[in-house]
Amino acid sequence: MGRNRRDRLRELLIADRARGAASTVALVCARCVVDLSVTGAGATVLSKLGDGEARATPPDRGLVHATDEVSAGLEDLQLTVGEGPCLDTFESGGPVLVADLALDGGRWPAFTPGALALGAAAVFSFPLQIGVVRLGSLDLYRDVPGPLTRVELTDALILTDMATQGIVDEVDGHDMADLSWLLDPHVEVHQAAGMVQVQLGVSTDAALMRLRGHAFTHDLPLAEVARQVVARTLRFTREEEERR
Amino acid sequence: MSTGRDQRLADTFVSLADTLVADFDVLDFLGLLTERAVELLEVDAAGVILSDQRGGWRPAAGSSEHAELVEVLAAQTQQGPCLDCVRSGEAVTSADLLADTDRWPLFAPAAVNAGFRAACALPMRLREEIIGALTLLHVEPMTIDDSSVTLGRALADIATIGILQQRAVRREEIVFEQLQAALHHRTVVEQAKGVLAEVGDLDMNDAYTLLRDYARAHQRRLSDLARDVATGAADIAEMITWKAKAGA
Repeated sequence: MGRNRRDRLRELLIADRARGAASTVALVCARCVVDLSVTGAGATVLSKLGDGEARATPPDRGLVHATDEVSAGLEDLQLTVGEGPCLDTFESGGPVLVADLALDGGRWPAFTPGALALGAAAVFSFPLQIGVVRLGSLDLYRDVPGPLTRVELTDALILTDMATQGIVDEVDGHDMADLSWLLDPHVEVHQAAGMVQVQLGVSTDAALMRLRGHAFTHDLPLAEVARQVVARTLRFTREEEERR
Repeated sequence: MSTGRDQRLADTFVSLADTLVADFDVLDFLGLLTERAVELLEVDAAGVILSDQRGGWRPAAGSSEHAELVEVLAAQTQQGPCLDCVRSGEAVTSADLLADTDRWPLFAPAAVNAGFRAACALPMRLREEIIGALTLLHVEPMTIDDSSVTLGRALADIATIGILQQRAVRREEIVFEQLQAALHHRTVVEQAKGVLAEVGDLDMNDAYTLLRDYARAHQRRLSDLARDVATGAADIAEMITWKAKAGA
């Protein structure tokens, strides 16, 4: 089921892109509105790739995409008041789904009244992240209360994956067409990022970009580069990579 | 069941209940559950796979993180007893994987190669939905007896309850949120393992063991410690020194 839905959504995104140049994140937001029973979609992409700073510091204001004014307003509101479902996703590590904001929004006294006033009756936030590498968030809203269906939740997760991939591609300029590295149950990519961040003395974000750069330059799948790093046949130094 | 097993069973429920009321961490909990499953059911290895909610499955915890077990758990998300189990909602067993290469032409030889001959998968069911499976593996051919299957099912049910974390399931979305958060924490653990492996010149299983043992000894949640290790907030040198003093 997953693979078919994923292929379908990928093809839709490719068709969307052919109609006009736009970032993957913007395309994902637009696709959410078409495919899911939501009124609008917004996304904040962190301008400074953070390393998982303490929650007390709201994420730096970054690039905001929104399909309508309400979505734009919700993105702005969360950053301004420093609380809301979007920020909670980084606390919990998972999506925050609020089918009825008027009923369940009491935990955000600074956010909920403003959000309701903007016209959001339900809010669904999905973190865009790769472990501790925080890239941003995708926030959907509906002007009437009600949950997303199981199929819609699956699609939202797939679109979240694509948005995450899109952000990483745009940051390092390497379009790696296949998503498998994000979903690979062989977790060596994440282990390799941890190893390389120590080898280079950099953040996990930077280590991941370095791995991708190496894969691109040597025309190797990222999973293969990761495997070599974990097997300790490939090390990274500031100047160049050493091969044993 | 023997009296010895009764006692170990009681101890297991107490320690699992402890994790449920204290500062709960789902990866801690599932890790502990797989370790207890190995002891109680007298098998060589155990693991939990969870739905990624996108039509796929991902390993979430294992009784160890030796490469062979990690490989077999990952393989089980593509073919094998676990996949059959989550699709059917029924327990799936193989007393001897060497005899089951027709059943699972990719998985069975790979598992045998990794050193496992017997396998059993038990569903983690929440109402009508299967959210994962508890898998048991043994290095010798083995037929698992009925009382062990019953106990295994009980452990799988406990795993499911653990995912819900005591919360009244008022909202369907809670399960969805919790599963995604668990998978996220798992990714962070992998990143942390890489950091520890590099700093301490450890293999991945030793890196995981260090993380887990240090967390337990210092009453820290595994997920939180992993995050601190991966973000540079943890004193890794101190962790490694502690481990050396505490003994292998």
